[in-house]
Amino acid sequence: MAEHDPTKPRPGTSRRDFLRGSGLAAATAVLTAPAVAALDEAKAAAVEDGPKVLSGELPITLQVNGHEMSCKVEPRSTLLDTLRHRLDVTGPKRVCDRGSCGACTVIVDGDTVYSCTTLAVSCQGHEIRTLESFDTGATGVPHAFHQHDALMCGYCTPGFVTACKAMLEKNPNPTIEEAKRGLDGNICRCGTYVGVLEAAMAAAKAMKKEA
Amino acid sequence: MPSWPEKPRLIGKSIPRIDGLAKASGKIKYPSDMRPEGTLFGVMLYSPHPHAKVTSIDTAAAEKMPGVKGVVVIAKAGATLRYHGDDIAGVAAETEEQARDAVRAIKVDYEILPHVVTEEDAVKPDAPKIVPSGNARKGRAQTTGDPEAAFKEADAVVEAEYSAPVITHVCLEPHGLTARWDRDDAITAWASTQAVGATAGELAGRFSIPVTNVTVLTEVMGGGFGSKFGADVWGLTAAELSKKAGGRPVKMFLDRIQEHLAGGNRPSAAGKVKIAGKKDGTVTAVVATTSGTGGARGGSNFPFPYVYAIKNVSREHTEIFVNGGGARAMRAPGHPQGCLIMEAAMDDLADKLGIDPLEMRLKNLNDGDKVVDANGKPTISRAGIYREQVPIGAKLIGWENRKPRGQNGKGPIKRGYGMALHQWGGGGTAVNKVTCTISPDGSVELKTATQDIGTGARTILAIIAAEILGLEVKDVISNIGNSTFPPGQGSGGSTTSPSMAPPAFNAVSKARDEFLARVGKAINEEPADLTLQDGKLDVKGKAVMSWKDACRKLGMMGVSVTEGFAEGLASGGVAGCQFADVTVDIETGVVKLNKIVAVQDSGLILDMLTWRSQVYGGVIGGLNYGLFEERVMDPGSGLMLNPDMELYKLAGLSDIPEIVVHAHDTPEMRARGVIGVGEPPTISTAAAIGNAVTNAVGVRVNKFPMSPMNVLNALNAASNKEGKA
Repeated sequence: MAEHDPTKPRPGTSRRDFLRGSGLAAATAVLTAPAVAALDEAKAAAVEDGPKVLSGELPITLQVNGHEMSCKVEPRSTLLDTLRHRLDVTGPKRVCDRGSCGACTVIVDGDTVYSCTTLAVSCQGHEIRTLESFDTGATGVPHAFHQHDALMCGYCTPGFVTACKAMLEKNPNPTIEEAKRGLDGNICRCGTYVGVLEAAMAAAKAMKKEA
Repeated sequence: MPSWPEKPRLIGKSIPRIDGLAKASGKIKYPSDMRPEGTLFGVMLYSPHPHAKVTSIDTAAAEKMPGVKGVVVIAKAGATLRYHGDDIAGVAAETEEQARDAVRAIKVDYEILPHVVTEEDAVKPDAPKIVPSGNARKGRAQTTGDPEAAFKEADAVVEAEYSAPVITHVCLEPHGLTARWDRDDAITAWASTQAVGATAGELAGRFSIPVTNVTVLTEVMGGGFGSKFGADVWGLTAAELSKKAGGRPVKMFLDRIQEHLAGGNRPSAAGKVKIAGKKDGTVTAVVATTSGTGGARGGSNFPFPYVYAIKNVSREHTEIFVNGGGARAMRAPGHPQGCLIMEAAMDDLADKLGIDPLEMRLKNLNDGDKVVDANGKPTISRAGIYREQVPIGAKLIGWENRKPRGQNGKGPIKRGYGMALHQWGGGGTAVNKVTCTISPDGSVELKTATQDIGTGARTILAIIAAEILGLEVKDVISNIGNSTFPPGQGSGGSTTSPSMAPPAFNAVSKARDEFLARVGKAINEEPADLTLQDGKLDVKGKAVMSWKDACRKLGMMGVSVTEGFAEGLASGGVAGCQFADVTVDIETGVVKLNKIVAVQDSGLILDMLTWRSQVYGGVIGGLNYGLFEERVMDPGSGLMLNPDMELYKLAGLSDIPEIVVHAHDTPEMRARGVIGVGEPPTISTAAAIGNAVTNAVGVRVNKFPMSPMNVLNALNAASNKEGKA
C-alpha cells in the first residue's frame, strides 16, 4: 500500500484547498486558532503553486489499479465520471454525486476519496485504486461481504468495500466502534448495516490470519 | 399435489447469494454501468418551478451545441408543469458534460402559476386550486356499528392527531435505462427496473413495435422499493433520442435531485382519531378522519383501522393534492402509515385505561382473520400467529422492564419501550413460467423473466434446483433479468418468491424425471431405481457415476422443461410484530435506539441468510422512517429543500442499534409453503419507535419522524397545556 506523501498535494477537497477556493483566504473575520493556521497555510500555498487554468478537452493519463489509462476529459470532469464513463471502471458508483453517501469511494495514494467530488485532472500522477483490484480470495474484504451477506441490491457495496479495505490497511485491528466510525461515510438504502459490520470485523480477522 | 422436501439439504439453510462476490468486487455490471459501443449520454431538463405553464420552448441553440445528437421536448408550449422536477425535455450528446450544457441552453419561457406544496396550505380556503375540482377530495365515510353510542358507554376515550411526512424512495441506483435501437423495429434496453416484462411492454407500446422485439436486460439493479415498474418518461425519452441518433445507445439516468423529486415517494399520512375502550381492554370504537398527499395525482389512502377487530368504526379519508412529485408504491404501500396511526392510538388508549398496551393488543386481535394455507384455503388464524409471536418479542426486548408512560425517572435521560403489530398479503400469482435446462456438459440453467432487486431471487431459484438435483448451489446458473425469457413476476408486493418458487420447483422436478428416464435407458437401469445426491447418480442408493458423467449419457440433446405454477408450494398472508427500546434526552430531544426486535413469519424460508437480510433491511427502512426521513418542501418557493443525501437524512452505521431478528419458522409455518418477506418487516418499526419514545418522555410525540424538533415540540406543547390548566 502506498503511503501518502505529505509533500505531494493530494487530490480531493482538503481544508486548505477549500479555503483557498472559497475566497476565505482573503477574509478577515474573527477566526479560531486552527482556522487561522489553515488560512496561513492556504495563503502560502497560493503563492507557492498558483492557480492553473485549464479548458477544453484535455488528454490525461491516470494510474488505475496498476494500469496506465488514458482518455480525454474536461477540466470539470470528476474522477468518478471519468472512471465510469470513459474508462469503464464501473465499480465505484454514482449515487448522491455530492460527497455525502460514499458509493463512489476510491483509494488515492492510500487515502479514501469521494471520487464524485474530485476532479480527474487533479489525479494525474497519483495512484488510484478501485475495488476491482482487491483480492477476492478468502482473506479479502469482498469475500467477507459475500459470506456475511453485507449487501442486497449491492449498489452501495463498492463504496463500503473500498472504505473497509482502506480502513483495515490503516488500522488492521479496529474495535467495533472504530469500524463503525470508519464506515460512517457511507449510506446503504437496503439496510445491510448489520452484515456490513460483521463483514468488516470478519475481514480484519481474516487479514490477520493471512499476515 | 407437489410438496417441498420434508428434510431439505439446502432449503432453509444460510446460503450466501450467488451473485454476492460479483457485487462485492465491483465486477458485475448494473444497468447504469453499461456503456455499449457508441453510447450517447442523456440528460433531462426538469421544471425549476412548482407550478408553471410552458409558454414557449426553443431548442435551436441547444441542438447546435458541441456533441449534441438530439433533443426531445416533452413539455411543449402550452403544457403545464405540476411540480419541481416535472419533465420538460431530454438531450443526448457525446459526453454527459456536453449534454448538461445543452440542457442549460434550452430556452424555456414560463408563465408562473400559483402553487401549494404543503398539506396545510393546500386546504386553506384561499389556496389556489391546483386541480380544478379542488385540492381536497373527501372520500365517503365508511361506518360500521354505532361509534357514537360506543363512545357514550366507554370507560375511556382518547382524541388525538398523528402524522407522518412524505418520504422518498432514495434508490441508490437512479431510475433510468440505456436504450438502443437495433433495427427499425427492435430495441435493447439495459434498465434499472423491478419488472423487465412491464418495461419491455411500455417501450413496445410507445413505439408500436412488437414486444417480442424489445429486450429489457436487468442482470442486477440498485434498488427500487416499489418505484421502478416501467420505462418512465425518461426511459421513453432515451429510446426516442436513440432513434433520432440513428440507433446509437442513449444512457439516461436521473440525477440525484430529480430522483428525489420525480422518482416516487411514500405519501404523507395524518389522522384525527377518536378511540374508546372498556376497562378490560376491549377497544369498542374508533372514528378517524385521515388525509395525506401523494402529490398532484393522489394515492395517499391507507388501511385503517389496522390489524385489530373493532366493532364500531367510522373512517373518512381525504386526498390532498399539492405541487409535488407523484407517489409510487413504496415498500408495503399504505401499511406503515396505517400502522403508525393505529398503533399510536392503541397505546394512548391503553395509557388512559391504565393497562399494558401489549395485553390490550392481544385482547383485540381479529379472530375472524384467516390467512391461506398452501392449498389456498383460508384455514390459518392470523390472530393465532400473533399470539405466538408477541410473547417471543416481549421476551427478547425485555418488556418486563417497561414502566408505564411518564414513569421513567426524574433525570433528563429517559428510557422507553414500544411495540407494534403489522400484517401483509403477498401471495404468489400463477401466470409465470420457468425453464430448466440440463445440458450434456453437466450445466444446469434456470431461465425466467423475473429479476433480482436485491432480495436474493436469483439465489433462491438456484437453491431449489440444487436441492432437487442433488447439486451445489454454485452448480446452477440462474439466468434472469431478461424480458425475452419465459414470463416472470414483477418484483412488487412481496410476490416474487411465492410466484417464482413453484414454477421453478415444477420445472426442475420434471426435468429431473425426464433426465432420469433417459439416463436410465442409456445405462439399462430402471428410472425408479435412480436418484441424485451429492453430485452423483445413484442406482438403488449406490453411487455409480458423477453428475457430469450421467449428463453425458444424454447424448447430443439436453433436457429442457418449461413449467408453470402449482398449488401446494406457496401461500400468502403474514403477521409480525416489532419492539423498540429507546433512550431519549428530553433536554435535546435526541432519540437513541438501544434495540429493536423483529418477529416475523413468512412460511417456508428458502435461504435463511438472505431472508434475515431482508428483515434487517425492513427494520432499518422503518427506522429511517421513524427517526430521520422527511421530504421538506418550502411553502414560499414551492421547491423541495433537501433533494440530496445530506439534508435528506438516512441512517449510517453508527445509527444502527442492536437488531434482533426472530424467524417465526415453525413446522406449521413451513407447511404453508413459500411467502415473500420484502415488505412485512418494514411496516411496524416506525410505529414501535414512536410508541417507545412516547413511553420514555411521558407525552405523545405525535409527529413523525421522531426528530429532536418533533420531540421537543411535543414536550413543549404538553408543558404549555399543563401551565394553562
